[in-house]
Amino acid sequence: MSIIEVNHVSKEYRLGTLTNLKDSVKNMARRLRRQAVLQRTAFKALDDMDFSIDQGEVVGIIGNNGAGKSTLLKLLANVTTPSSGSIAVRGKVAPLIEVGAGLIPDLTGRENISLNATILGISRKDIARKFDEIVSFSELEDFIDTPIKRYSSGMKIRLAFAIATSVDAEILIIDEVLAVGDLAFQRKCFERMESLIKHSGNTVLIVSHNIRQIERMCSRVLLLDQGKVAADGLPLEVADLFYRRSNEIITANHKKAMQDKVHKYSSGEIELLTVDLINEQGQISDSLSSGGTLKVRVKFKVNQVLQRPEIVVGTHTTDFFYLSASSTALIEDRPDLDIGTHEVEYIVPSFPLVAGTYCVRFAIFDQHQRKVFTGETLKIFTVLPSSTDIRDAPMRRLYLPTQWLLDGVPHSSPVAAPAEIAGS
Amino acid sequence: MLRIARNLYEYRELVAELTRKDITVRYKQAYLGIAWAVLRPLALMLIFTLVKSFVGIDSGSIPYPILTFAALMPWVFFQDATSEGIASVVRNSALVRKIYFPREIFPLTAVTTKLVEFGISAFILAGLMVWYQMAPTIHIVWVPLIILYTLLVSMTIALVGAAINVSYRDIGAALPIILSLLMYASPVIYPLQLVKDKLLTQQAAGEWSDLFYTLYTLNPLAGIIDSFQNVVLRGQPPDFSSMLPGMVMTVILLPLSYRFFKSEEAYFADVI
Repeated sequence: MSIIEVNHVSKEYRLGTLTNLKDSVKNMARRLRRQAVLQRTAFKALDDMDFSIDQGEVVGIIGNNGAGKSTLLKLLANVTTPSSGSIAVRGKVAPLIEVGAGLIPDLTGRENISLNATILGISRKDIARKFDEIVSFSELEDFIDTPIKRYSSGMKIRLAFAIATSVDAEILIIDEVLAVGDLAFQRKCFERMESLIKHSGNTVLIVSHNIRQIERMCSRVLLLDQGKVAADGLPLEVADLFYRRSNEIITANHKKAMQDKVHKYSSGEIELLTVDLINEQGQISDSLSSGGTLKVRVKFKVNQVLQRPEIVVGTHTTDFFYLSASSTALIEDRPDLDIGTHEVEYIVPSFPLVAGTYCVRFAIFDQHQRKVFTGETLKIFTVLPSSTDIRDAPMRRLYLPTQWLLDGVPHSSPVAAPAEIAGS
Repeated sequence: MLRIARNLYEYRELVAELTRKDITVRYKQAYLGIAWAVLRPLALMLIFTLVKSFVGIDSGSIPYPILTFAALMPWVFFQDATSEGIASVVRNSALVRKIYFPREIFPLTAVTTKLVEFGISAFILAGLMVWYQMAPTIHIVWVPLIILYTLLVSMTIALVGAAINVSYRDIGAALPIILSLLMYASPVIYPLQLVKDKLLTQQAAGEWSDLFYTLYTLNPLAGIIDSFQNVVLRGQPPDFSSMLPGMVMTVILLPLSYRFFKSEEAYFADVI
């Protein structure tokens, strides 16, 4: 028996402001004359959404900004109604949508606890029972009789969180804000949420941008995109899909931004023709997977003979941090470049960078180190995340095969299956 | 009807809690605190008494100050309850957008909050009665019913007004004007007896007199104020003939108003 049923639900909002008197009168006149009435354009926040959730499921909802997550939660919490379709919710809902919605600045902490808890549907008896726990969890023992307008913002949020999570309801709806306060308190919040989720057997819906958290806590994940359910399934798979999609968007944005950041200098002796990335199948591409082979092919035309020139190919990040560079200066018997078209390939067998957007730079110097040509951002390419990437530690630049000795037993990180390049 | 009542009973703790909040917040940082609730009818009473000494209003056997205070009590209750009720949904927009509970709780809370202030004014009235050496009679038991009726009248206006106010804030601006006009159309400064004498006894408007009187009493406050004065000061039962037109209107309009509010309720969070 599903506890939440969402049947072909759409929700439209009208864009622009409410009609003023002038427009209303105009519209009325049009209606009288049986002409078409001016309509404001509609925006579909939810578009024919259809799914159901069973008792006891812990469902994560992820998606980009504007995908319809909050609208969906509002509909489930009965705060607003769908434009079409129907929603059936069997059981008491505790909406933790934006904690602190009902806090009144003029009231003391104590008064706010009883007010806010009542608003969330906790009975007076239960409030009395839970009062001490709420106070001690929020660490506000000394301030509980002070009006909360004198609280710091962190104190307010701690109080709101403590109240909100003391609700007993069959269905718990949690919006992303919940990781609040300083690090120690955040840890406490997460622990409380996890115990709330794991030990209650309640049905829980969580909206978050923290994909790792979703992945850890949920048994099922819905990915929303432009008001539709784009994916629905196991956390790992859906999170992976979302991760990859976001990455594509980031890449696209980066590329657009980098397009006009091409820096080139040429003395006129050579003329750059093309800079391409070649994949393992030998085709022109613009992406590779972490740890894959990087092959850059540069074609250029030489107008004057260059004797033993030095060729440099390298990579840099979108903010011009130089990552790698190799020079042919190390090659003793490098050839001269005659007049005509030339092709140079630069190959790095295993390019050890994490997923992201990178750029190619290219330079030629003559044998006396004089600049003949330099260029940055000549080719923008993407390193795709491997399938295990999201589970690895964040905050890193390099993708390195790793071995571990855990209590003396050797382990190695799972060999990442290279990401399919098809999507990009 | 029963379903509505049961629903409200389920949310009684919320209503009580919100009422307490309204009162605490209103007088929290005021040194005189809830005394302000009493000062307004008292000040109006003094002004009216002063005016009366120039124009001369026949207050019958009852001293004018206490008569007008007994009129101001239900009037001020009605006025405040209605305007607070209309503003209530918009004022709580943070809650409306986040959490669901039946939205009529907002106007209902606003209206019941005013009961507390009414209760405090009652002490002043009692003091005045002691001062004028007037003893209450058995008819005082009518007071709760009269107040309940006043509350229903306020709710009738507050429900429809609050719903419209969500989309069109014009209501909030127009209301003070309408209410102050309505005060002169209600027997606050003058007793209902004067209107009765003019229209029913003297037939001042000729053959239209009876119709005019009915129109006048279509304003529920006419009956309410007169009856309140009757049961508290005159030691008489309420005058039902002066209450009937207003009651009929309230009985018809309250369900309509409630239904309108409930049909609009679904869109509150979207447009507020």
